[in-house]
Amino acid sequence: MLLNSPSVEQLIEAFRRLPGVGKRSAERMAIHLLSEPEEVAAEFAQAVHVARSRIVHCGVCRNLAESDPCSVCADERRDHSVVCVVEQPTGAMAIEKGGSYNGTYHVLHGVLNPLDGVGPQELHLDSFFERLQRDGVREIIVATNATAEGEATAMYLSRQLAQSEIQVTRIAHGVPMGGGLEFADDVTLSHAMQGRTKID
Amino acid sequence: MDITRFKCTAFRCLSDVDISPSPAFNVIYGGNAQGKTSLLEAILFATTSKSHRTTQESDLVGHGGEGFQIHLDVHRQDRTIQLDANMYRGAKRFKVNGIAQSRVSDILGKINTVFFSPEDITLVKGSASQRRKFLDMELSQLHAPYLMALQQYRQVLRQRNELLRRNQADPAMLEIWEEQLAQHGGLLIEHRHEFIEELTPLAVEAYHGIAGAETLTLQYLADIGPSDDFVGVLAKARQTDIRRKVTTRGPHRDDIEFMIDGQPARSKASQGQQKSAALALKLAELEWVKQRVGEYPVLMLDEVLAELDPERSQQLFKAIPHEVQCIITTTQPQLDDLLQDRPVMVFQIEQGKVTAT
Repeated sequence: MLLNSPSVEQLIEAFRRLPGVGKRSAERMAIHLLSEPEEVAAEFAQAVHVARSRIVHCGVCRNLAESDPCSVCADERRDHSVVCVVEQPTGAMAIEKGGSYNGTYHVLHGVLNPLDGVGPQELHLDSFFERLQRDGVREIIVATNATAEGEATAMYLSRQLAQSEIQVTRIAHGVPMGGGLEFADDVTLSHAMQGRTKID
Repeated sequence: MDITRFKCTAFRCLSDVDISPSPAFNVIYGGNAQGKTSLLEAILFATTSKSHRTTQESDLVGHGGEGFQIHLDVHRQDRTIQLDANMYRGAKRFKVNGIAQSRVSDILGKINTVFFSPEDITLVKGSASQRRKFLDMELSQLHAPYLMALQQYRQVLRQRNELLRRNQADPAMLEIWEEQLAQHGGLLIEHRHEFIEELTPLAVEAYHGIAGAETLTLQYLADIGPSDDFVGVLAKARQTDIRRKVTTRGPHRDDIEFMIDGQPARSKASQGQQKSAALALKLAELEWVKQRVGEYPVLMLDEVLAELDPERSQQLFKAIPHEVQCIITTTQPQLDDLLQDRPVMVFQIEQGKVTAT
């Protein structure tokens, strides 16, 4: 019987480590892979393996990339005096999709979180500050998530750079474009109200 | 507002209940351990997603089962609402008018309830944390932003306390959490202050109604006052906090002081006075909710008669406005003296089965 197969257990456990995957989903994924023809599983394993072996951390911005430095950090047409700070590579991907940002990124791979034992060292902030000096950065845009930890991280960066020439800004919070107000939650709306701007 | 129908299955010892309470007085009568309190608890759970007796939600599931269902039909001034609360294998789900609600804050305030049980005497004689819990429960029901601020405040406080606990607390690291404490905590203080300000005259009057000539006063003891410089207070306390390894200042240290005839009720009042004060607070809440939402909430009284002397019981019944739907549990079937000529519906409960009599 499948239930007491250690290798299947191990596969389920492997899926469970992925973000957003619970026990049930992990079981479904594992059983699905095992029910399909063998090539499907082989392709899957191959895709994971190949992608992982080609991807490195960019030495400049710590984003995941196929080269070091990454394509953004190596691009001379981009504005290297502006750095957008995000929690995860997905944050940089989201902003990049927006298409209107022409600066560079810095990926923290986390936020300050004492309960999880994450402090400035764990986020390698010293090397981030060194990078800012080295590259002559004028402005950092803090785009960490609007959580307690994301806000505290933004506050930390702003305090640490208070004595420097570097301007620290925070992305605005507001209602989504093209969406009705009724879809925004109460807190977002109250932020949007507080951060209202004058129409010129 | 009033509950026109209540159904539940497999909630604690309530196996299969389906009743249609009257919009006025409802008496649930039965012996001990027959499910009287569980019935009120089920209503409370469906309207607030919480139990007053336990934080261990698996306790609420009937013996040997995997889950429970609660259904309420509620009549409000301008509309009717159906509320479903289900628990299955540890996951709770809520529906309003048949539509699933993803956030608990979306069900709070759909139906307002005021609940009084004998344990509520701890509001007066218990610790400050119980009074803060009271404030948080009441305000969360009526203000979604309060609940949000409370959750955020607690999260930030946990983070700052963790730094202190681990001895990693240099002032610069503490400071980055303080602005958020001030932002969310300030909102809590503001609402608590306003709430107690509004509740006080109502409670004073209600206490007069129950206890006659004695005078009740209450005062909000805010650890950081509404007009204090929150961030400044936290900054000043940093050294103390580092020494004591905990955040020593803020609304998580707030309290309410009850005085009866100028004496602190917590230490100086009799049991009867403390009970009356707690009850007065709940009656005040009835009026307060009415002022806020335009109609009376549903009042649930659990075993209050066993705890009050006949005179106070009589006064209590007199103090409950006729428009209020009241659901009261008792072990004594004869309430005629107390009810005077009020219309009443009586339900008998026995081993988790409820029948109208």
